[in-house]
Amino acid sequence: MIPVFTREFLGILRAPRSIWALLAAALAFSSLVLARWPAGDLVDLSGSGSRGAFLVFASALLGGVLLLVPAFPATSIVRERNKGTLLLLLNSPLTGRAIYSGKFLGVLAFAGLMLCTTLPAAAAVYAMGGVDPLRQIGLLYAVLAVVAILATTIGLLVSTRAASPDAAVRITYGLVFAVAFLTLAPHALTKGTNGIYALISQWLRRLSPLPVVMHLVGQGGSVGGGILEKDSGVWQFLVAGLGLSAVLAVATMLQLNHLLFDRSRDQGKITDDQSTLVRWFRRLVYLVDPQRRKSGIPVFLNPVMVKEFRTRRFGRFHWLLRLAAVCAVVSLLMTLAATNGTMDWGVETIGGLLVILQIALVVLLTPSLSAGLISSEREGGGWNLLRSTTLSGWRIASGKLTSVAWTMLLVLAATLPGYLVMTWIKPTMWNQVVLALISVLLAVAMTLAVSAAVGAFHSRTASATVTVYVVLMLMYLGPLVVWAFRDDPFGRPLVERALLITPLGAALSVIGMPGFAQYQLLPAAWWVAGITCIVALVVFAIQVWRLLKPE
Amino acid sequence: MNAPAENVLDIRNLSKKFGDFTALDNLNLSLRRGQILGFIGPNGAGKTTTIKILVGAMRPTSGSATIAGADCVRDARRIKRLVGFMPDTFGAYDNMRVREYLDFFGAAFGIPRRARTKRIDEVLETTGSGWMQDRYVEALSHGMRQRVGVARTLLHDPEMLILDEPANGLDPQARIEMRDLLLKLAGMGKTLIVTSHILPELSRICDVVAIITQGKLRAFGTLEQIMRDLRQRRTFEIQLCAPERVETVASAVREALEPGERDSVKAHPHESLVRFDTARSDTELSVILAALVGRGLDVAQFREIPKDLEDAFLSVTRREVPAA
Ligand SMILES: Nc1ncnc2c1ncn2[C@@H]1O[C@H](COP(=O)(O)OP(=O)(O)O)[C@@H](O)[C@H]1O
Ligand SMILES: [Mg+2]
Repeated sequence: MIPVFTREFLGILRAPRSIWALLAAALAFSSLVLARWPAGDLVDLSGSGSRGAFLVFASALLGGVLLLVPAFPATSIVRERNKGTLLLLLNSPLTGRAIYSGKFLGVLAFAGLMLCTTLPAAAAVYAMGGVDPLRQIGLLYAVLAVVAILATTIGLLVSTRAASPDAAVRITYGLVFAVAFLTLAPHALTKGTNGIYALISQWLRRLSPLPVVMHLVGQGGSVGGGILEKDSGVWQFLVAGLGLSAVLAVATMLQLNHLLFDRSRDQGKITDDQSTLVRWFRRLVYLVDPQRRKSGIPVFLNPVMVKEFRTRRFGRFHWLLRLAAVCAVVSLLMTLAATNGTMDWGVETIGGLLVILQIALVVLLTPSLSAGLISSEREGGGWNLLRSTTLSGWRIASGKLTSVAWTMLLVLAATLPGYLVMTWIKPTMWNQVVLALISVLLAVAMTLAVSAAVGAFHSRTASATVTVYVVLMLMYLGPLVVWAFRDDPFGRPLVERALLITPLGAALSVIGMPGFAQYQLLPAAWWVAGITCIVALVVFAIQVWRLLKPE
Repeated sequence: MNAPAENVLDIRNLSKKFGDFTALDNLNLSLRRGQILGFIGPNGAGKTTTIKILVGAMRPTSGSATIAGADCVRDARRIKRLVGFMPDTFGAYDNMRVREYLDFFGAAFGIPRRARTKRIDEVLETTGSGWMQDRYVEALSHGMRQRVGVARTLLHDPEMLILDEPANGLDPQARIEMRDLLLKLAGMGKTLIVTSHILPELSRICDVVAIITQGKLRAFGTLEQIMRDLRQRRTFEIQLCAPERVETVASAVREALEPGERDSVKAHPHESLVRFDTARSDTELSVILAALVGRGLDVAQFREIPKDLEDAFLSVTRREVPAA
């Protein structure tokens, strides 16, 4: 176990990205606290200023752990398997358990190091007064440690199963965010009801660190004993998180053996060679059969674009159709729920939820498609082949970008029925819907351009994907965090400026989502998005040109 | 076929530096249409660097190279049409079948769809890989990949094929098949540049061989010419009865040889042997032998070591290794 641990830990430390992560964490947290430091010499005894600082500190820490930690375990095993060193480890006297613990502790040691860089900031928050060192700050770190453990076990499990490092990164981030945020959704829907669903959703909610951290922050005034009382959820979260981690860890250890290498290659079965019956059956099931022999790429299409669709698992038509169908159904259901009055949401709230659904799709899907546009070619050796063809840099760049743009437009088009029903219920909303849709389109363009540009500077798809997700989460969730604290620490001008960063705020405000309606964001938000988009595209084009030119 | 005797490839004083390190040092080469050039040298000799310059993926520090009159730096687009390039890595794409893979590269070269379909059938046929057209590229074995790689370079019907280590890592059977494939391509009138770090691997089918080590061209010509040059410098062994006088014999031989040949004299006390390379004739050698015997040194045997291809390669590549 010791050799695996040292190698893992040192390996992480040697990577430039970890140094950046550490530096960024230390810098961000010290500047955060400095910015909130009381202006006068007097310590504010009521503690409201420091509570604000603690709130910002805690949410930033949670965000930092959720964004940075999963990247390391996610690539850890799959990269070793693909490079062949995992086979060497398995052939050594080390057991699966020892390999697992070594990797697990290596990643955790790094996470611990990162948390340590934030301790000075925590001390500063404490020095401002009004925050309990043990029951608030101490428990906050305990909660964060469990979040890190959970993220690590999820990442390692995904890493043993995934086919490539970048797939592992995507799936791990998806799961970690699902555990952190999606677990809250059922509870939000069943709140106030009784029965088995309410109970299950109550339990699911325990897995999310979000309510726990909010609770710790909110308890500033009554240090008395409120935190440890039964329904604060802190202990339940710690127990549930550690329990789930243990289950995941055991599941992963059981898989760490030679069977990982016992996978058969795809023999390339093709529908065209099968009987008519099978062919018709497959046509009915898939509509567009993925295993049918493709016809050649038509001359009027950019071959790079077609190639991008064909090489993506989810770029194949049958998957796009499924995705579009799911989006259409969800958007319709949401709107119908509003018309039936089963939930007393206004049309504006439904509109807001539709916007959030669309933007969430954009932010989650776009990077997985566009972060690796260039790096996957460089990684797989395709870049040298592309360079040796007569394709111009312009065709390569535009083919790649349009392949993502079409996919996203298709997915978004599928969510349009929801808006149609909405304007049918309340025809006066037509204008707002158009403005919101323009904002969403701008969000697509900006997200695509930014993730392509940021990803193009990486030679590995896994690290490109991580960086792009971190950048986008900061861009999209950052303003929302500021918005969430619009009354207490932050004032209206700051919130308004923060919401300008992404078109999400503009879309929500024009559709009239409660809480956003009061901000005037258009047309400034469009200008910001448009300029960001253009700058990112130029950067992307320059990087493509640089990579194509002779060394 | 216009003027078969003209040079398709002309490399003049080509040099490439990476910082202080000289990867290619004043390379001069030329090749005629329809010939196969074996570009041979140990790992790190500068073969891939040369090739990358030829296909326009790298800029030379100085010197020039032209392919069929097109300058490798300035006429990048024409070079791409003239050359089919297979790098030493395959470049697989996920979820793509062999046929789709070839279709993509055909389309990238702007071949219209009809002609492309026909062309793909032809190159699959030529490389004998038709049976794997529905396989997924990432699931191909190494030998299958090399065939698909060659098929890909043939798509746009280039005049010249540049293949980087096509036989590397292939089993003996697949290596023979690769050799046959290369001969077939030469038979179709293509000019071929094929690199290898093993001389015997491909040299027998090459019209000309260039041996390169540490960025310098060591030998260039037909295989017979190179072998003849090498044979002029023969290797001899003097077998003694006992190990004690090995050093004495070695220094006596050293004194008798030209200054340039003295470094090659090696004493091997364990085997009671002295080995040396020389270009001297048999008569001159008999004088040396007589002198040794005359000094009472107990020579048991005096013999010439016959050289095969591999020795030739080793002796060339070893010769100018700078002293550590
Ligand atoms: N981009 C580069 N930067 C620095 N050194 C390089 C670069 N590419 C190759 N080299 C060095 O140049 C030498 C020749 O490399 P290469 O042409 O790849 O050799 P080979 O004959 O094995 O193909 C090697 O010593 C290699 O380390
Ligand atoms: Mg090489």
